[in-house]
Amino acid sequence: MTRPARPAAAATRPGFVWALPAAVFFLLFAFVPLALVAVLSFTSWDGIGEPHFNGLDNWTSLFDDPVMLQSVWTTLLLTALGVAVQTPVSILIGVWAAGHQRNRAVLSAIYFVPLLLSATAVSVVWRAVLDPNFGVPAQLTWLFGDGNLLGTKGGAIAVLTFVGVWQYTPLHALLYQGGARAIPQVLYQAAAIDGAGRVRQFFHITLPQLRNTVITSVILMVVGGLTTFDTVLILTQGGPGTDTTVTAYYMYQKAFKGFEFGPGSAVALVLVVVATLISLVLVRLSGYDRMRGTTEGM
Amino acid sequence: MGSRIAAVAAATVLVLGTTAACGSGGGSSDSGSGTIHVLVYGDAANKVEKQLVETFNKTSKVKVVLDTIPGADYQQKLQTVINTSRAPDVFFNWGGGSIQPFVKAGLLLPLDDFIAKDPGLKDNFLPAVFNSAVVDGKPYGVPMRGTQPVLLFHNKQVLADAGLTPPKTWDELVAATKALKAKGITPIALGGGDQWPTLMWFEYLYDRIAGPELFQRALNGDKAAWASEDSRKALSTLKELVDAGAFGSNFDSVKFTDGGSPALVAKGKAAFELMGSWYYSTQQDANPDFAKSGLGYTGFPSVGGGKGDPAAVVGNTNNFYSVLKKTKYPEAAAAFLKLMYSDDFVKAQLAIGNLPTTTSTANFLDLSASPAYSKAQYELVKAAPSFQLSWDQAYPPSAMTPMHTAVQQFFDGRIDTDGFIKAMSALPTS
Repeated sequence: MTRPARPAAAATRPGFVWALPAAVFFLLFAFVPLALVAVLSFTSWDGIGEPHFNGLDNWTSLFDDPVMLQSVWTTLLLTALGVAVQTPVSILIGVWAAGHQRNRAVLSAIYFVPLLLSATAVSVVWRAVLDPNFGVPAQLTWLFGDGNLLGTKGGAIAVLTFVGVWQYTPLHALLYQGGARAIPQVLYQAAAIDGAGRVRQFFHITLPQLRNTVITSVILMVVGGLTTFDTVLILTQGGPGTDTTVTAYYMYQKAFKGFEFGPGSAVALVLVVVATLISLVLVRLSGYDRMRGTTEGM
Repeated sequence: MGSRIAAVAAATVLVLGTTAACGSGGGSSDSGSGTIHVLVYGDAANKVEKQLVETFNKTSKVKVVLDTIPGADYQQKLQTVINTSRAPDVFFNWGGGSIQPFVKAGLLLPLDDFIAKDPGLKDNFLPAVFNSAVVDGKPYGVPMRGTQPVLLFHNKQVLADAGLTPPKTWDELVAATKALKAKGITPIALGGGDQWPTLMWFEYLYDRIAGPELFQRALNGDKAAWASEDSRKALSTLKELVDAGAFGSNFDSVKFTDGGSPALVAKGKAAFELMGSWYYSTQQDANPDFAKSGLGYTGFPSVGGGKGDPAAVVGNTNNFYSVLKKTKYPEAAAAFLKLMYSDDFVKAQLAIGNLPTTTSTANFLDLSASPAYSKAQYELVKAAPSFQLSWDQAYPPSAMTPMHTAVQQFFDGRIDTDGFIKAMSALPTS
């Protein structure tokens, strides 16, 4: 085979130097800390003296630790619940907000307010609202019984999911709004001529056209879900017992409340490994790595 | 995404903590210029600490620089700076387990020499309080704020309406909870969501039934202490109270820290609450009228057949100043510590609502914002044959989370007596 001496494609490619700032930044703030955590996970260190290597001690005790395994399952459960509830709700709101109805702009603006609030503030407010003696549950005893929402496993997980949905649905609705706006109107016009109603248009045009947006949104939700921390810290502190101790919170408990930085680092690494595996699977399954435009052939 | 950023930040800090995080305060004036740095927990009480530093600096050649660290971050920041060149000379702590790791690392100065030169540094403080900063037989701290014993608070009106008087014995307390429950009132408010309020019930029942020695044995590493007969008796006594519905059923959804459980008592929906002496000012802030006329308080009831002295108390004994071994000016540090038993110190602490633990405090109790309450507390602490430091402060920091989990699960019925004994025996003790 003969090759052209100067391939045109290579000439227009940006040089390596362009990637340098980002690469250095990534190396310094992501890779170096990660490597240090990996080293720390083989030491015993309380933050006072020098770290001492203790071989695999942290890791063996971690695998014998029932709370560790439980925390991974709790994290996965909360993530799955978040995705399952947020996706349909935010698609519906986003598609609605992409339309041209009356009052749409005003209602959407109100709807996006939760996104502007800090997760910490949101958690504090919901805690007060859900107080069993003076909050909403005290008024709706037929629904909430004795109001022991945060004192039971099911209740605490439901509250964490609900608060997460309340806070982050606007972000995903925003993504879907943008996605829905980008769908060419001709598709709907053609479908209308063919006699397709609103519901049919939604399932046969809108949803398939939003495929890439769904992938993006789900990946954001999964990453957010796996690193859930602030809502747990404020709403449940991992309780009752260890029922809502997610992995990120367990790391915090070990490292920053117990000053066991070695075991804390090991927990952090487990979280990194689990999150990496999940994102690899997601990228593979969704075709994120070879994402194509949805307007091909038009 | 806020949650993601928080977790990434936490992970970054985790590794950068070694080198980067170096606390607050002017590092530039550290070296050899005749200053000692005093690190304190940043809150409203800093007013008094600033005043004392000013007094001290007027006469002393070596000047004190006060560095404050906002409350919630204090222990973390202290842990990261204490073994660096930016370590303070004198620092605030909670005695007991909070300084034990530093003592083990050989960082702290035993105060024996200071006390030999000025016995007042020991004798002018209530012994039960002073002793909670003694580690391995050596004193490491001088009390520097107010004591916070745990008391049994009650709503006077609710008790009167039910024809009850404040209980002096455990049996009276149990009888009172039955009478209140029959009237549809939650007998005892509990902020179980915070976990540490639940722990207070264990601290008192173990103290009353087994005496302070059992916990001391356990803390010294004798794991069998938790499985002893007295330990089982304390647990079954407590379990009976929980199962009788004395705390209601939704206590784990209630917190003290967000005002949930104090509101129950103030509004008459619950009768009792076991809490540290700061409860009075909590109620004063949230429900001033109730604090003034409706809030009653007693010591914890005696338990029949128990080995513990009914006059013993548990709680936070006091805060302490400890001195680092490598300070360049130990004489100046000693001179500064002497101010902690001065009349000015006692008056200033009383004025902001703290109850200092000097022997001279009794002379100034009338200056307190609420003299009757201060007197009752002071008498209680002074008469106490022992003052058990809160368990989660007595154990090293790594024991705190598993301990809180165990007490919560025991109250929830998720673990039984054997499960609790197993969890407590597994706590790290050194």
